[in-house]
Amino acid sequence: MRLALILGLLAAALPARAQNQWDLQQSTLTWHVTHPMHEVAGTSHDAKGKGICANGECNFLIAVPVNTFHSGDSNRDLHMLQVVRGAEFPMVLVRTSLPQAELNSPVISADLEVRFAGQTAHYSHVELHRTRHGNDVEITGTIPATCSDFKIERPSFLTVPIHNEIPVDFDVLWHPQ
Amino acid sequence: MPVAGQNAQTQQQKPPQSNEPSLGDLGFTPAQTEANAKLQARLNKRTHMLKIHQTLGIITLAPLAATVIVSSGAKPKHSHTAGGTVIEPSSAGVDLHAALGSASAIMYGLTAYYAIAAPKIRGVKPKGAIRLHRDLVWIHAPGMVLTPILGGIALNQENQGEKPHGIAAAHSYVAWTTVTAYAASAVAVSWPIHWKFWEK
Repeated sequence: MRLALILGLLAAALPARAQNQWDLQQSTLTWHVTHPMHEVAGTSHDAKGKGICANGECNFLIAVPVNTFHSGDSNRDLHMLQVVRGAEFPMVLVRTSLPQAELNSPVISADLEVRFAGQTAHYSHVELHRTRHGNDVEITGTIPATCSDFKIERPSFLTVPIHNEIPVDFDVLWHPQ
Repeated sequence: MPVAGQNAQTQQQKPPQSNEPSLGDLGFTPAQTEANAKLQARLNKRTHMLKIHQTLGIITLAPLAATVIVSSGAKPKHSHTAGGTVIEPSSAGVDLHAALGSASAIMYGLTAYYAIAAPKIRGVKPKGAIRLHRDLVWIHAPGMVLTPILGGIALNQENQGEKPHGIAAAHSYVAWTTVTAYAASAVAVSWPIHWKFWEK
C-alpha cells in the first residue's frame, strides 16, 4: 500500500518535473534605424512572453505591440507605424525552440522566427547571452533584422533612404513559474 | 552571429504545436492584437499628405530666400555721396520683390494645407521635435499674413513720397522673423542631425 502511494506520487510528480514554464517579467526591445543624417532608436518595454519546456525541449514566444515602440518623436513613431503596416499587423512575434539543457549555457545559439509586418523571417544561430539573477534569467541579444526581410519600403529623407539594416536589441528577464 | 539578411527567409507562419505558447496565452487585449484596416488607411493617407507637405515646404524655401535676397532692390536707398538724397527703387525691383513674396505666400498656403488636412491619429499627442515644428507655426503663420500687408502699406507710403513709418516700418523685421521661424521649423523636424554622408 505504502509502495503504491509512493509510486503514485512519483507518477504525479514526473510530468511536473519534466515540464516547466517561464514568464517574461521585464523587457527592453530597441530598434535602430540609420540614415546618413540621422541615427534613431525606438524602445518598447511592453513585450509579453512565455516559455514552455516539455520532454527536454523548450518553446519560447515573445510578443510586443508595434505601437508601443517610442523614439521620442510622435511624428516619427506614427510614420514607423505606417511603414511597417503596424495597424494591419499590430504585433511582432518572436519564437524560438531550444533544447532544455542549453538554458544553462552562458551563451545560447538560437534559431529565431520573427513575424513582423505581415512577413515571417528566420534568423539562424543568433547569439543570446544568459545571466542568472537568483531564480530569474536575463537574456540579451540582437536580432539582425533588415527592411527587406519584411518587405518594408525603406523611408527616405531628402530622397535618401534609411539603411536596410534595422537591428533590434533585446534584454528580457524570464521568471520560472 | 549571422550577418543581417543573409540567413533570413521570408515564408508563411506555421501553426503552433501543442507545447508551443500562443499569442492568446500572453494576455493581450483584442484591441492590441486585431488588425485595424481603417487605422492603416488613415496612417497611409497621413504619410502621403505629410510627404507632400515636406516636399512643398522645402520648395517654398527657394522663393522665400529669393524674396529676401531681392528685397534690397525694393526699398529706397540713402545716398551718402549726394548729400543724403533718397534714391527711389526701380519699379522692376519692387515688382520682382512683390512677385516672389506672393509666390512664397501661395506656396506657404499650399504647404500648410497638406499639414492641416492630413488625418490626425486619435490619442497621439505631439512629442519631440514635431512639437517645436508645430509651435513655430504660431510665429511664421501670422508673419506670413502680416508681411505682405505691411509691405503693401510701406509701398503705398513710398508712392506718396513718404518714408515708411508707423507699423509699415516693421515690414522687414516681421519678414526676417517669419523667414527665420520658417527655416527653424524645417530644421526642427529633422533634428537631431548627424552628418554621416561619408558612411554607406
